[in-house]
Amino acid sequence: MMSFQPGLFARGSAWVVAMYLLLPISIIIPVSMTDQRFLSLPKEALSLQHYATVLNSPEWLGSIWQSFLIAVVATGIAVLAGTLCAIGCWRLSRRSTNLIRALMLLPIIIPSIVYAIGLYRYFAGLDLLDRFMGVAIAHGVTGIPYVVITVSTALAAFDPRLEQAARGMGASLMQTLRWVILPRITPGILSGGIFAFIHSWDELVIVLFIASRDVFTLPRRIWDGINENLDPAMAAVAVLLVVFTTALLLLDLALRRRRAE
Amino acid sequence: MSAAGHALALRGLSKRYGSFTAVADVSLDVGQGEFLTLLGPSGSGKTTILMCIAGFVEPSEGAILLDGRDITALPPERRDFGMVFQGYALFPHMTVAENVAFPLRVRKLGAAEREAKVRAALDLVQLSAFGERLPRQLSGGQQQRVALARALVFEPALLLLDEPLSALDKKLRAELQDELKALHRRIGRTFVNVTHDQEEALSLSDRVAILNHGRLIQQGAPAELYERPVTRFVADFLGKSNFLAGTVQEALEGGFAIGAGATRILQAATSTPPIGTPVLLSLRPEKMALLAEGETAENAVAGTIAGWSYLGAGYALNVATPDFGTLRVTLPTWNAPIAPREGLEVRLGWSSAASVPVLDDVSPDDAA
Repeated sequence: MMSFQPGLFARGSAWVVAMYLLLPISIIIPVSMTDQRFLSLPKEALSLQHYATVLNSPEWLGSIWQSFLIAVVATGIAVLAGTLCAIGCWRLSRRSTNLIRALMLLPIIIPSIVYAIGLYRYFAGLDLLDRFMGVAIAHGVTGIPYVVITVSTALAAFDPRLEQAARGMGASLMQTLRWVILPRITPGILSGGIFAFIHSWDELVIVLFIASRDVFTLPRRIWDGINENLDPAMAAVAVLLVVFTTALLLLDLALRRRRAE
Repeated sequence: MSAAGHALALRGLSKRYGSFTAVADVSLDVGQGEFLTLLGPSGSGKTTILMCIAGFVEPSEGAILLDGRDITALPPERRDFGMVFQGYALFPHMTVAENVAFPLRVRKLGAAEREAKVRAALDLVQLSAFGERLPRQLSGGQQQRVALARALVFEPALLLLDEPLSALDKKLRAELQDELKALHRRIGRTFVNVTHDQEEALSLSDRVAILNHGRLIQQGAPAELYERPVTRFVADFLGKSNFLAGTVQEALEGGFAIGAGATRILQAATSTPPIGTPVLLSLRPEKMALLAEGETAENAVAGTIAGWSYLGAGYALNVATPDFGTLRVTLPTWNAPIAPREGLEVRLGWSSAASVPVLDDVSPDDAA
C-alpha cells in the first residue's frame, strides 16, 4: 500500500475542525476557576470557590441527583424496549421489520422540540406534567433509538446458526434468549445503555416543556442559571457534566475494545 | 450410550420458495441405525431436506415420519435430534464442557448426572482434557469433535450432519471420516449426513441418496451407485466416467450390440432396447485396459494418446478415438504395459460387463 502523507491544507483543516469542537468546551474550564463573582475568565488567581459553592448547594446537588435518577430509570426503559424491539425485528426479519426499525429512529430524526410539544399535549391528560415518571418516560422513549441501533448492530454480527443450534438441542425461545443470544449481544446492550443514559443526562428541550417546579434536572438548572444570573457556578457544573459524560464514553470505548478481542 | 436407532421416512417432500422449487417430491427411508448420506452439487436441495428434517424449514408439501409418527409440524426444539452444523456453531462464550452440557441444561438434568454425561461424551470424542477450553482455542478438527459430542450427549433419536467435514483440510478430513464411521458403528444410532464430497459419501455411508435440482435421482449402497448408475448425472457425479453414445444394432444373448460410426460395442444387459434407439453407456476409466499386440477383448477400440499425467498410484491417459471422442483411461503405475507418451497409438479393451447403459439426464446447463 502507498503511504499517504497529508498536505498542509488537509492538516490545517483537520486542526481547525478539532479546535472548533474542543475550544468551546475547554473555555469553560478556566471560566469555572475564575476568582470573579460573575461568568468571566480568571483575573488574578485561579480559584475553586465555585466548585465549593456547587458541592455545598442543596439546589445543585438536588438537581444532580434528580438528573441521575431520571437517567437511570430512562436508561432502563430504553434498554428494555430497545433490546426487545431489536431482537424481535432481527428474528422476524421481514420487510415490515425494517420499517419498524426505521420508525424506532424517529426520536433522533424528528426535532426534539416537535416531540416536546406533542408530549406536552399528551402528558397534560395523563397527569405526567412536572412528574419524575413523566420525564423518565419521555427520556426513556427518546433514548430507544440508541439501544435499537447498537443492539441491531450486535445482532447483525450474531451467527444465526447459534440460535438454530440451541433450538435444535431442545432449548425454548426463552432459554435460547437467555443463554445464547443475550450473552453475545451484551456489549451492544451496554453500549446502547450508555448512550441512552447520556441522552437523558443532558436533555433540555423536552424538560423545558414538560417540567416546571418539581422536576428540576441539571441541564435545566444550568439553563435557568444563565437566564437569571451569570453565576460562575454554572461553569463548574458544566465541567462536572463534561467530565462525567467523557467518563461514560471512555467506558463505552473500553467495552467495545473488549468485545473486539 | 445405548444403541437405539430410529427410523426416518420422508414422504413426497417438497419445498418451494416462490416460483423456485428447492426440493421436489422426495421420498426416502432411513432405516434404524443406518448411515444415510444426501449427496449432490450445491443447489441440489440436500441442505433444504436436512433443514426440513431438523424442523428449521417448513416443507411446502409432504410428510416427515419418525418411527411411523408424523413429526412434520413439530418445532425443532421438540424433535430431539442432534445436529452438527456446517462450521459447527459452537457457542463461543461457553467452554467446551459448557457447550456439551447445553442440551442437558436445557433438559434440566441434575448437576451430577450432567457432569457424568458430559465426561462420557467428551471421552467418546477423545477430548476429555479440553473441557475448560473455549472453542476458539481448539483446532478445526477438535471443534468438529466438540460439535459431535454436543450433538450426541443427549442421546438424540437421530444425528443430522450438515457438511460436517467440509471446513477441514484433506488429511484431517480423511482421519475424521474414519472416526465418524467408527463412532457410528459403536453407538448404532441413525445418522443423516449431507455432503457434496462424493468420496466422503462413498466411504462413510451405508446408503447414499443422490440429488440434483431438488430431485432424488438414485439411492442405494455406495457400491451399487458406483457400479450401476442409472443416469449420466449419477455416473458423472460419483467418480469419473466416460460416456459412449451409439444406437442399438442387434439383440444378443445376455446383452446387445451398439454401433457408433464404424465401431461395434457389446453391452451386457438383461433386456434389449428396440433396434435403432440411441443409447448412452457409462464406462469407468479404470475398467479399460491397454491391449498388447494380438491380444483381444470383447470390446476393442484403437486410438492415440492425446495427453497423460502421472498421478503416483496411476497414470491417467486421454486417448483420442475416432468414434467416441476422447476417453479417459487410468492404469496402475506399477504394472503399466507401456510408458505413456503423446501420439502413441494404443488399443483399449474392455468387457461387455464393464460398462452400464445410463439415461442421459444431463441438460446443457448442467454440463459445466
